Amino acid sequence: MISKKRFLVGGVALALIAGTLVSTPAKAASSELVIGSVLDIDKLDPHTSTNFATVRALGLVYSSLVEVGPGNKLKTGLASSWSFNAAGTQLKLVLRQGVKFHDGSTFDATDAKASLERILDTKTGAAGRANLLTITSMVAEGRSLTLNLSVPNVPILAALDGVNMAMLSSDDIAAGKVGGSNKPNGTGPYKFVSWEPTQSVKYVSNPGYWMGAPKITNLTIRVIPNESSILSAMNAGTIQFGIVTDPLIAKQVSTKTLKLFKVPALAYYALQLNTKVAPFNDKNVRLAIQCSIDRPEMINTAMLGEGAVSGPITSPAYKSDPNARPCPKVDIAKAKEYLAAAGKSSGVTFKALVTSNGWATSVAMAQNLKAQLARADITMDLDIVDQATYVPRWLGADFVATLANNGGRIDPDTMYTRYFTSTGNLNKVATYSSATLDANFLKGKSSGKTAVRTSAYTAISKELEDNAVWVWLATPYEYRVATKELKGFVALATGSLLPLRSASLG
Amino acid sequence: MRLAKTSGIAARLLSVLITLFGISVFIFIVLRVIPGDTITGSLGIETGVLTPEQIDDLKRYYGIDKPLLLQYFSWITSFLSGDLGFAYSTGVSVLTLTGSSLPVTIELALFGTISGVIMGIAIGMFSAKKPGSARDFFGQLFGLLALAIPGFVLSTAIVTIMANKFGYFPNGYEYMTPWEDLWMNLQQMLFPSIVLGIAVAAPVMRTTRSALLETVDKDFIRTAFGKGLKSRTVQFRHVLRNSLIPIVTMTGIQFGYLLGGAVIVEKIFALPGMGRQILDAINKREYATVQSSVMIFAILFVTINLVTDIIYRRIDPRIK
Repeated sequence: MISKKRFLVGGVALALIAGTLVSTPAKAASSELVIGSVLDIDKLDPHTSTNFATVRALGLVYSSLVEVGPGNKLKTGLASSWSFNAAGTQLKLVLRQGVKFHDGSTFDATDAKASLERILDTKTGAAGRANLLTITSMVAEGRSLTLNLSVPNVPILAALDGVNMAMLSSDDIAAGKVGGSNKPNGTGPYKFVSWEPTQSVKYVSNPGYWMGAPKITNLTIRVIPNESSILSAMNAGTIQFGIVTDPLIAKQVSTKTLKLFKVPALAYYALQLNTKVAPFNDKNVRLAIQCSIDRPEMINTAMLGEGAVSGPITSPAYKSDPNARPCPKVDIAKAKEYLAAAGKSSGVTFKALVTSNGWATSVAMAQNLKAQLARADITMDLDIVDQATYVPRWLGADFVATLANNGGRIDPDTMYTRYFTSTGNLNKVATYSSATLDANFLKGKSSGKTAVRTSAYTAISKELEDNAVWVWLATPYEYRVATKELKGFVALATGSLLPLRSASLG
Repeated sequence: MRLAKTSGIAARLLSVLITLFGISVFIFIVLRVIPGDTITGSLGIETGVLTPEQIDDLKRYYGIDKPLLLQYFSWITSFLSGDLGFAYSTGVSVLTLTGSSLPVTIELALFGTISGVIMGIAIGMFSAKKPGSARDFFGQLFGLLALAIPGFVLSTAIVTIMANKFGYFPNGYEYMTPWEDLWMNLQQMLFPSIVLGIAVAAPVMRTTRSALLETVDKDFIRTAFGKGLKSRTVQFRHVLRNSLIPIVTMTGIQFGYLLGGAVIVEKIFALPGMGRQILDAINKREYATVQSSVMIFAILFVTINLVTDIIYRRIDPRIK
């Protein structure tokens, strides 16, 4: 017999649990989109941002002179047109008319010049400075900005894309009101409202945006520091858009209830070999590694089939042909021949630096490569460290080999000049340069003709692969998950959220 | 008598101060020993584009160009005067960051401990009532499973099942403090508290069971039964009360661990607590944030231990 008191207590408890389960708050209004992101932003200065989350978030607030659109094609941004002189040493940009900053001031060439000068100023510590070093002077007149260059540099146009090249108000720059706790003031589709560290970034649509006010009026990027929880929040309908990098999570997306956007990324995975130290100061050992790796096997196992075999250049217009490399398919006999040629018939042992949390599949990929290399009597010991430890060691070339996930660009010049030219600021990390590479990079940089540039970058790709400078492995996918109600969104290989400016809900 | 008590507390306070000093030195040194600094933590691989002059400028800006001893004294004197420093990446003071994250962690640890203690004591009593019986077997099985199942597995399972089967995931909404929206706050704390509570319940259950079995054989319990008291009265008023000391000890320790050990649960349930704050700061090598946050945890931990000691004295006057 249950007493009245017990019955009441039990009833109240059950009601509480039931109430909790059913009283889910109302879902977001139709013009509001909540985006789930594992990473929080880490600053508000677009020129010094390197964190993916910050670049994505500030890309909604700030605009650049040019943009990368669908198909990785360069298109107009705040510059409505441009032209190079015949020698490729002068770039004239005509700026879009009627563009205003979020504070109401008008954008003109003075702002563009001040923004580029800020990037070039060493005190700024701008991430994109190296790409602008050929600028010797700038002339701003009304809506026209002319860049005079020390050498022919056609790829500089593509380098003007992105958050690191954001156009700021010259008044803000003069007053030192950029970054820190200053509210971002851009010309982008969304106005910055607030940032609550570790929680969210909020925006409202910019009614004066030059492409017209975005249909989604309120945008929130909410930090949910676990991709599995992002997917759960999407399934529960508490958020409407998710940024996912882990193929395992992407594979769990039910396309019956959600949309999955998947585009090949420009970024690439490579086993970077330090050519300055043994055993990789011997080209034959490097080629032995090249021939021992079965890339499709690595993709199918460690990356769950979510990726594509890649060569050095991932820029769509100049993409390397992975079949043109020595040993396009795994060839253990050939690998052993190379080892014998290096006088290491009994095999080699080396240590590979691996980040534990740099990307979702890093350790799985390293373990798979270790197992594959063992078939050719090559022992790869894993030195697994966290990303914050990995970065300074990578920068100091403090490794014999390292598994890396490096960013790609739509132009090979901005992608690789910094690594493989003898004066490149990351050449110490690349550990390889040559006179022919320098000459080919200069050839590619100087010409506006596609055939000339293709020939230069094909030669670069061939030299890098024939010498197995690094062992290029694969490109991953960029994933976006969205509610079925999201219309008009196109995922970009750059990972930018800018296409949300043309999207709508319902 | 009073003098002995006072000197005992004074000795305890002195040991607390020495412990805190040791922790401050330890965390300061550990952060400097691990590779990387605030510059690489902030700029990542793009640090490679900086000139040596720019790096020197940034080191001066972050105050990491000074000798280590000077850095330590600068930080510890500021900390003691209430200036916890600021997070370079956000420009927000550590005091402000902690002001919003610490209550989340304390609330989570408190709910986790309360639910753990309730579950642990109830199952422990349930088990101890008939040692060796089927109910004891199931009670002990619970203890074993609760210890064996990692928190992240349980958390992920709960989140996935609730979201996929019931369309319910309150933690997907913006975090609400109890002052902003009490009902939403309780919903957001419910599952993480249960996960933490289960982890706490296991050791509490085992401690409760052993303590009860030890107490139940004592003469005064036989006397209580001999006086004709009801079984329930004997269980709660005499057996449980006299078994409380080890349970309180275990609860105090578990609460302290929950303060620092809830990082994974905070991540999976998207709760903006101290665990996440410290983890993010470690990844960014934000020295002031890590050092000051760890010190706050340390102060809380030793305070809880001190309070536990004082509670002992209240429960059992024989303890000096």
